[in-house]
Amino acid sequence: MENLTLRAERITKDYPGTRALDDISISFTSGKVNALVGKNGSGKSTLIKIFAGATKPTSGDIFLNDKNLHFNDTAEAYKQGIVSVYQEMSLIPGLSVAENIFLGRLPMKNGVIDWQKTYQMASDLLQKMKVNINPQETLYRLSMWQMQVVEITKALSFNPKVIMLDEPTSALAQNEVQNLFNAIRALREQGVVVIYVTHKLQELPQIADTVSVLRDGKLVGSVQMNKVKHKDIIQMMFGEVKIQSRPKNIKVRDELVMEVKGFSREGWYQDVNFNLKRGEILGIAGMLGSGRTELLRGIFGADPVDQGELLIEGKNYKSANPIKMVKAGLGLTPENRKTQGLILIHSIRDNLCYASMIITADGWIENKKKRNSFAERQVKELDIITSDMDALCNSLSGGNQQKVVLGNWLNTSPKIMLYDEPSRGIDVSAKQQIFEIMWAQARKGVAAVFVSTELEELLEVCHRILIMRHGRIVDEVNPDKTNINELYEICMRGD
Amino acid sequence: MGMQTANKLVFNRKKLGIFLLDHAIEVILIVLMLALALNVTGFMTWANWMNILRANSLKGVIAFGMTMVIIAGLIDLSVGSTVALSGVIVARVCRDLSAGGMDLTLACTLGISISILLAVAVGWLHGFFSHKAGMPPFIVTLVSYNALYGLAGMVSGGFPIANQYPDWFNVLGGGRIPIPAWFTNLLGVGPIDGIPYPALVLVITFLIVFFIMGYTTIGRAIYATGGNPESARLSGINVYRTKVICFIVVQIMAVLAGFMVSGQVLAGSFSFGRDWGLDVISAVIIGGTSFTGGIGRVWGTILGVIFMGVISNGMTLLNFDIYTQYVVRGLVMFLAVLISSYRSKVRV
Repeated sequence: MENLTLRAERITKDYPGTRALDDISISFTSGKVNALVGKNGSGKSTLIKIFAGATKPTSGDIFLNDKNLHFNDTAEAYKQGIVSVYQEMSLIPGLSVAENIFLGRLPMKNGVIDWQKTYQMASDLLQKMKVNINPQETLYRLSMWQMQVVEITKALSFNPKVIMLDEPTSALAQNEVQNLFNAIRALREQGVVVIYVTHKLQELPQIADTVSVLRDGKLVGSVQMNKVKHKDIIQMMFGEVKIQSRPKNIKVRDELVMEVKGFSREGWYQDVNFNLKRGEILGIAGMLGSGRTELLRGIFGADPVDQGELLIEGKNYKSANPIKMVKAGLGLTPENRKTQGLILIHSIRDNLCYASMIITADGWIENKKKRNSFAERQVKELDIITSDMDALCNSLSGGNQQKVVLGNWLNTSPKIMLYDEPSRGIDVSAKQQIFEIMWAQARKGVAAVFVSTELEELLEVCHRILIMRHGRIVDEVNPDKTNINELYEICMRGD
Repeated sequence: MGMQTANKLVFNRKKLGIFLLDHAIEVILIVLMLALALNVTGFMTWANWMNILRANSLKGVIAFGMTMVIIAGLIDLSVGSTVALSGVIVARVCRDLSAGGMDLTLACTLGISISILLAVAVGWLHGFFSHKAGMPPFIVTLVSYNALYGLAGMVSGGFPIANQYPDWFNVLGGGRIPIPAWFTNLLGVGPIDGIPYPALVLVITFLIVFFIMGYTTIGRAIYATGGNPESARLSGINVYRTKVICFIVVQIMAVLAGFMVSGQVLAGSFSFGRDWGLDVISAVIIGGTSFTGGIGRVWGTILGVIFMGVISNGMTLLNFDIYTQYVVRGLVMFLAVLISSYRSKVRV
């Protein structure tokens, strides 16, 4: 089998205001699983996009063996044999496995689809992947890892030279990961360059042959997996991070506002217990899929909870729903502001007043004056940048949209705020503003639970951090006495 | 200097463009009415306008309820069948109970109450099955469209039930509020047609729905529910209750329209209102309400109703046959939706 090498030479990618990739030279060879790791924003997805032809480098070249490649779009990269498998699945649930693999290129005979050949071809490919999946099975009947394998098989059907797998285990349960790994090992034997993007370090010893680490757009290094320790990779990922410290004048008061006792939801989280004091910001650290978002939604009554007791200021809340919880003084800024936090086709003014609708009205008649003053107050206090309060939320930047979501809740004068990934997808200065708002609320005595994937943020913002792993609270750390490497290590431990 | 003027001009033209797009329906309606007034004798007369009102008020009443339903992101296809059923129920109750010796007014009131209660129940069921059971409102109300039509046929025994209503019931649909002589004298004209009662009902329901949608928390919740039900729910808005309210209101309005149409013809019949549902939805959409929910004006709906009325009246006066009218109505709706789609594209 021919040896293949995909090589990037001095790749730099500039976006307005930031340099996403800085002079990266790296190579990946066939017959190996090449892991590419780095925390969010390290540039790993930008690099993958350049290989896949989804974006062009500002400078630098890509070589496959010694052939210099230039892509104008992903279709051209495909023709050169570079394919990528993304987290969002491109499969169609209602079609068979074989149809999904050969969609748009089904073999024809006498003007009709040659099903026999279709199933035979699919079956051959699946055998190469060493999986036992029936090509005639309808896709939605498969389990998640099997679907992921079908996705990879589809990529393999293009006879690629390079396959890039972007976080392929992110949607999988623990026991499914091993099955997927077996398939990826089979893929490695096909003489394809396999690039495996992940942020789950615990997977690396099992699946990776080499590891390349990116940090802040630079290549920190490429190492053989069997010659490196877990700790070293963490060190490479984070370097020496200076954590900004939170203002000293936010005092946790000695007054319990919320008690979560034995919260469980089948398949998501088990036996979660914690207390929250007035003015406290409690962080929950955990990887994607650890159950943190579901826990917040459970507390807020947005999703059902199987078991558990919730006490707010000593009062027991059974069968919670958002309507009740808002009245109890809770607020939730949801994980996805566009689909859960805002009504994008409505104005900034309206979006600032939905949660406080009852407060701003006289009975069921709206008090326009009061409503406007509530909306204007938040625009001023949160520094929402807009020339027109009647502009649609569609038109705002991510940071300003997040401020509107916050403002919607602050108008209810909440006692407890649940912040789910409030800084996702917004720029650095907006992030800092969001944290300032959270601190300002804490000073007023608002207690908060803060969930984030960004560990630095948790260390910066919180008084206390709980570690959640596979739906359980497994540890608690004091951010003043923990550095990021330790925190990351604790989050990853045990798998 | 020259640059500045040019900029200003461009800016104004853009502003004018947006104004015209936002008020396209008003502009087209005015142009259409002017054209008809200048070219068709008998169009711009008091009597003709009272006719237009009489003919279109019934669907108009339902259209206001339908506006609430569509803004909430829902649909109710069943209203036409409710129209038929309500008239038939009142007729049957009047006939059977007064035959048993009951006072006709009492019997009729009882029939009216039964119809309204049934409408509330149907609206609540629509809300329940579309929200709690997660069935598409299109399907849920399509089921009722068929079931209620069949029920109307069963209640009436398959024939119209004529001449059973008390007079006051007939007046509601067919009567007019006379214009007093001193007023016509004041204007210096001869005796003129009175204002049809349905027009009065139209105005009252318009005011009620206009108030609900613009000035109450219920209206706000309806817009929010249609705009994004998940965001609305997570903001503590009672989405289920909001949907149920919309479904019940449109059903009650359909019942009112059913009373009026039956009163106009002095009979209840299962064949009434068969295709009203789609006409009503058309008027709401022409009025600029977004079919995907969250956006719409009650004022737009009244324009949509008048628009449909004026077109069919004008074309009748011009001796176009009914089939041509259908084609034109289709084209008008196409144009209205095209404009509003274009508007939401240039807006964002």
